[in-house]
Amino acid sequence: MISPSLIYGFGKPVILVLFFIFLPHSSLSITQSPSPLGGRDIVRSQQNGIDDQVKQISHQLMCPVCQGQSVAESNSNLANDMRDIIKKQLREGKSEQEIISYFTDRYGESILGAPPVKGINWALWLLPIVAIALGGIGIGLFLRKSQQPTKKDVSLRSVENKDYLRKIDEELEKRED
Amino acid sequence: MNVFKTVSKLAALTIILLFLSILGYAIFGDRVIIKTSPLTGKEAPDFTLTLYSSGGSLAESGENVSLSELKGKTVILNFWASWCKPCRQEAPALERSWKKYKDKDVVFIGVNVWDDDSSALSYLDKYGGSYEHGFDPEKEIQVNYGLGGIPETYFIDSSGLITGKFTGQLTEEIIDYYLLRAISSKNSS
Repeated sequence: MISPSLIYGFGKPVILVLFFIFLPHSSLSITQSPSPLGGRDIVRSQQNGIDDQVKQISHQLMCPVCQGQSVAESNSNLANDMRDIIKKQLREGKSEQEIISYFTDRYGESILGAPPVKGINWALWLLPIVAIALGGIGIGLFLRKSQQPTKKDVSLRSVENKDYLRKIDEELEKRED
Repeated sequence: MNVFKTVSKLAALTIILLFLSILGYAIFGDRVIIKTSPLTGKEAPDFTLTLYSSGGSLAESGENVSLSELKGKTVILNFWASWCKPCRQEAPALERSWKKYKDKDVVFIGVNVWDDDSSALSYLDKYGGSYEHGFDPEKEIQVNYGLGGIPETYFIDSSGLITGKFTGQLTEEIIDYYLLRAISSKNSS
């Protein structure tokens, strides 16, 4: 039987020996773990990740020398340079917001594909909604109104009815006579 | 119908109010939008250019020159490319202005962008003038300065602030106007 004192007595050296025996293996097991992604694959997937981010950010920016094209869509020299700078800044660890601010600092907010929701820009976002809502209400009321008879129609009909009834009365009177 | 009339009036009123607010904003609103560049009035981004040619005052061709080395001088930064026709057309005006201002602590620098070296060098032989021209090997200067096409010219005062940006073909009068603003900004600082 192994007494507790034996474990305590040999504990430290045993742990140290075990540590040195398993350390290289453990470190190997970290670097050579049977990962589904090999070294090259990891680099490639990181590269793809950055490329996706570049695409995402450059879609939010309009190309300053193009007609209605985003930086992602344009093949102009300037758009190429801008995409390179986005990639470089992402590699430096800058956030999406920091990168977008870098461009708005230099080109103004007109470089943004969508105007930021602040100040007078609220009108740009709200105006279509207000216009659609008011248009919908207007069309609804117009249709409702067009299905109901107007006062003029009602009065005309009553006149027509009166004439008609009067004629019937006259006919009946003639027959009775 | 009463409801219909009320909604119609309300819609008309909303549209009029929106129109008036947009008009008011355009007239009295944020004046920043009329600036030629958001960088105007701000510190000019530093750059390091490799020189194609040298006027002899900054560095030899093939050597680098940085904006930070030019503190205390007024700087004209003119972006050009060999394929750009207005760049060729403005070249004589730049040369004449350089001769006029070279002894007044004003540095002219031509920055070649979106070009290849051989085309740039043959352009410089024909139209380059006598002042320094270079390129940014990192290709960052054009975005750092918010370039929106060429030719485009930035005027930087002696303290390193951008005092003006001009897009399009320069004339001597335009250069005078912007340079005097940059120089007077230097005097006032």
